[in-house]
Amino acid sequence: MLSKARTNVPLVSGELTTKEVGGFPVWEVFTQKKEPDAHLHAGSLSAPDASFAQQFAREHYGQDQECTSLWVGLREIFTCDTGGLETYEVFVQWKAGDKHEHVGEVEAASGAEAKIKGAEQFVGDKTNCSMWVAPISKLTKINSATDMIWRETTKQEYRLAKGYSRIVRQKWDALRAKKAVDAYQEEDLKDTF
Amino acid sequence: MSASANVEVNIKDCETADPEKLAVFEKHISDGGLIEPNDWMPEAYRTLMLRMAEHHANSEIVGALPEGEWITRAPSLLRKLALTAKVQDEVGHGQMLYEVAQDLGKSRNAMLRDLITGVTKYHNCFNYPCPTWADICMIAWLIDGAAILNQGTLAHGSFGPYIRTMRRINMEEAFHFKHGEDMVLTLMSGTAKQKKMAQEAFDRWWDPSLAFFGPNDRPDERERPAMKWRMKTATNDELRQKFVNRFAPAAMATGLVINVCKKDENGLVISATPDPKLKLNEETGNWDFTQPDWDEFFKVIRGNGPCNKDRLALRRFSYEQGEWVRRAILDGSTEKPCNN
Repeated sequence: MLSKARTNVPLVSGELTTKEVGGFPVWEVFTQKKEPDAHLHAGSLSAPDASFAQQFAREHYGQDQECTSLWVGLREIFTCDTGGLETYEVFVQWKAGDKHEHVGEVEAASGAEAKIKGAEQFVGDKTNCSMWVAPISKLTKINSATDMIWRETTKQEYRLAKGYSRIVRQKWDALRAKKAVDAYQEEDLKDTF
Repeated sequence: MSASANVEVNIKDCETADPEKLAVFEKHISDGGLIEPNDWMPEAYRTLMLRMAEHHANSEIVGALPEGEWITRAPSLLRKLALTAKVQDEVGHGQMLYEVAQDLGKSRNAMLRDLITGVTKYHNCFNYPCPTWADICMIAWLIDGAAILNQGTLAHGSFGPYIRTMRRINMEEAFHFKHGEDMVLTLMSGTAKQKKMAQEAFDRWWDPSLAFFGPNDRPDERERPAMKWRMKTATNDELRQKFVNRFAPAAMATGLVINVCKKDENGLVISATPDPKLKLNEETGNWDFTQPDWDEFFKVIRGNGPCNKDRLALRRFSYEQGEWVRRAILDGSTEKPCNN
């Protein structure tokens, strides 16, 4: 059965009746696949506030691609030069096409200073494509062991290709064998009767 | 599932770019280099990349609509879980691709609205009906299979954010495809009724799968911006041939017959005869096959397909119904991080 909403959709075309709402800000998400790997940039998402951003990040970047830790922050905080004295996480994209990778942290009085310190400590003479720094007070850190939805409650194989490999193999084998058996029986009947 | 992004840009636009910068840019690309959003790029590259990502994103979210209709009618709990996960994946792909497009200069809102009002397009294959469960099986096997072939080549493109997204998407498409193969094998190992249902759905989806890769190549395909700037790395016809080489023998091994079909205006098959051209060409090593009905393809792409109006009406309905929710949540603050 389809829901009533789906069976009774009015066939309307032309201009929309609703007005465009304001845009949602963009958030950057980093995930750590396993200890002690570095956190890697998983991607971005649009969300109205930090709590939505966390939920979307858990659902979108923490479900299929299992991870041990997930960091979420407003895009602006990664490139901002201002900010106070605190710890900044430093991320480097070593070459174009790569993901930004977490390389460590620095104590700094502002984003601008964090960038200078980050470049000194982690980049040095090496070439790199871009560097982001983010004050940890503005970064939400989610630990998957305590704070990840779905995990350990449901087996997730049904949403991964490898979850089907064995059964697909078995079905191909059975299908081919059955065909071979059918062909054999056909010949058998022809010869015997 | 997803889209081959057959969007065009006026080649004349390229001529307005600074010739020196353009030369450096093109050398970088032909040397296998990648472009990141902050790098200099010709406006035509930005426009074309934006349109490609937007068209791809549109296709992901519209593609989820016919499949979503079948979640409540899935034949078992496992199938329901898997189909729900697939639909979630597709919408997630749309979300990631809208982010890529947004960073190239068009707001998500504008893209969502342009899709509904018909300013922009989505992939043509989602304008066909899914009357049975077997259609869901065939979409997952054939259309997602085609998407993997296509996106496998797009992942070798030149735009960093797009290829990173392709890699993530392809991992999920592999599940969709494998699950589709499992479902098709289940039907084809089943009763006569199941096999008939599978064959009828296969007849509906073979043609749209061939057309999935877009129209036939033009003689100057490789000189056009999309290929010259390595946004696409294989032509439509190359991909289509690869698809037939992979899927024709597999379909026949399951017992399916590859037919040339005529359809009525509702997208339902009215006549099916075995493809007379279908055979392995010993000389080329490729499978010969009958081309999809291109007249029908262009008719559907212009908005006159069996399901164009339904798909957009449903998208419009959910967009307009959801407006008050977006307004309500936008009243919240975005400044304070939420550490709980």
